[in-house]
Amino acid sequence: MLVYILGRVLQGASVILAACVVSFALFYLSPSDPAAALCGTRGCTPQRLAEIRASLHLDDPKAAQVAGWLRGLVVGRDIRSGGIDRHCPAPCLGYSFVGDQPVTPMILARIPVTASICLGATAIFLPLGLLTGSAAARRRGSPLDRVLVGGSLVISSIPAYLLLLLTALYLTILHPILPRGGYHPLLRDGPIAWASGLLAAWLVLGLQFSTAYARYSRASMVDTLSQDFIRTSRAKGLPERSVVYRHGLRASLGPVLTLLGLDVAGLLTGAVFTERIFDLPGLGTLSLDALGTGDLPVIMGVVIVAATTLVLANLLVDLLYAVLDPRITLR
Amino acid sequence: MAGGSGLAARETGTGLSPTMVALRRLARDRVAVLCAVVLAGFVLVALCAPLLARLEGQSCAALHTELVDPYGYPVVGPDSRHWFGIEPRLGRDLFARWAYGARPSLLIGVGAAAGVTMIGVPLGLVAGFAGGVVDRLIVWLIDFMLSIPTILFIVGAVPVVATWFGPEAARSSTLDAEIRLWTLVCVFALFGWPVMARLIRGEVMSLREREFVDAARLLGMPTRRILRSELLPNLTGPIVVGVSLAIPAYVTAEAGLSFLGVGLIEPTPSWGRTIADATSYYASDPLYLWVPAASVLLLVLALNLLGDAIRDAFDPTAR
Repeated sequence: MLVYILGRVLQGASVILAACVVSFALFYLSPSDPAAALCGTRGCTPQRLAEIRASLHLDDPKAAQVAGWLRGLVVGRDIRSGGIDRHCPAPCLGYSFVGDQPVTPMILARIPVTASICLGATAIFLPLGLLTGSAAARRRGSPLDRVLVGGSLVISSIPAYLLLLLTALYLTILHPILPRGGYHPLLRDGPIAWASGLLAAWLVLGLQFSTAYARYSRASMVDTLSQDFIRTSRAKGLPERSVVYRHGLRASLGPVLTLLGLDVAGLLTGAVFTERIFDLPGLGTLSLDALGTGDLPVIMGVVIVAATTLVLANLLVDLLYAVLDPRITLR
Repeated sequence: MAGGSGLAARETGTGLSPTMVALRRLARDRVAVLCAVVLAGFVLVALCAPLLARLEGQSCAALHTELVDPYGYPVVGPDSRHWFGIEPRLGRDLFARWAYGARPSLLIGVGAAAGVTMIGVPLGLVAGFAGGVVDRLIVWLIDFMLSIPTILFIVGAVPVVATWFGPEAARSSTLDAEIRLWTLVCVFALFGWPVMARLIRGEVMSLREREFVDAARLLGMPTRRILRSELLPNLTGPIVVGVSLAIPAYVTAEAGLSFLGVGLIEPTPSWGRTIADATSYYASDPLYLWVPAASVLLLVLALNLLGDAIRDAFDPTAR
């Protein structure tokens, strides 16, 4: 077991390292001048350009540049900007010349927003999906089942961002049925303001994501509910609810868990449309704005944070899998 | 179902391949036929876009600023000259832009799916059949590619990759837009092949233990022939499943990226781009928003439902 964990951790670390190198390669080694790209498309003076080139050692061999950047990740670097030597504390994910500040604090400030979106959406789609799937499985073949299955198919086929856009326009702005989207920090404005600003986003994401869980849990529950041990439980006199939820649902946890890991990681790293449409200052809008201003260090920093999150989520799911299912022999 | 096709086989003396069985089941599914008709309609619009524009008498690039009032709002609504009305501010004809806009959506959807298949199937085949070091290498590569945050990377890579095709200043705007289109196809294919490869690899790993593969090996068939003539025909099912999942995903992705401003850029007419432009006019000029939005919705819905029906038809265990 320990060997397995160690192996997976090493594999995850190798993947993160490779993501860093590829990210570095994509932006630094493009044919266009990397210093000009880093300087940004606006407000770039020749002095600034020379400063960037010198402080990032862009004339050094590529391998030395990668090593320097990696070292900055661990111990921090000194960057010269605007004539002043600034220290970029570890972990130094880069220095944004456009925003004139280290990248790491910029990212850390945005994480609570993205995490709030992810949390609320998960709190809706997981129970909704599992309940819908179980209800459909219990009444298999009935009109309710067909409506639920058909409805979830149609909803999952609608592009997510279109649903978000139309909800935002028609349900929050034109006819204010739902509160207007916006981020109100939990600690500063209280939970009600925080929740109401995110409610529309949570509802739409929750609805969209729940369809996959409904489908998986329905399929696996249909399988499980026809097995003998369910018949035994009923014969023993257990209440139907206990039979379905305690025994039936537990068997479908495997694929649900994998999907949960993927979805949570996806929401944490890629809620770009949600944040743009509902005007939430999270990691997604950070990267979009950085692309608009040509601020490559920020983009690189966000990519690496996102890759790390995905690897960690996958690792966690694999470990939970092993804990939940003793039949899995870990090699 | 099995009895029916079995009777036919006994009568004619030839068997029905699994693909033929699946296609027959598909033809009997009314929803699938409806979706196929809708899809054919969109393909027709895309192919005949120049014809349709000429029928209407407009082009998708001509500005009609004389029909736009000083506030940028169009003076005329949908009429006999402009079937869907005109765009605010620039006054371009919306019907022509809608018809032409079908092209990039379908082109990128199908192109990216084709690219994913051409990269993913061989790699999955080799990984599943060879096993050992080659397999572990390819699996590591698949895991690595799946760990890269796709949206962020695509959003970041598209402008950079576009510069690889030549310096930006030296290009005309139409060439620029064309390059953007093919950049999108390449980037999608680059990030999409791992899913297909994983699917194929799983299937090959179960197929390679079957007797017909052993027989082929014993007969001294070279590996390349085994892969091509023994295994590949049996992979039609997973390939069709993968493609049916990929096409709507990439149509959605292209529209989404164009909506963000990262995908196709002016002057290429794109439904996603039009949706983004129409967002600020949604209350005053709803047709501007709803024509491309409904088109994207309908196209992706039809593709998804058809894909679902295809998957059910190809699945021998489905009712």
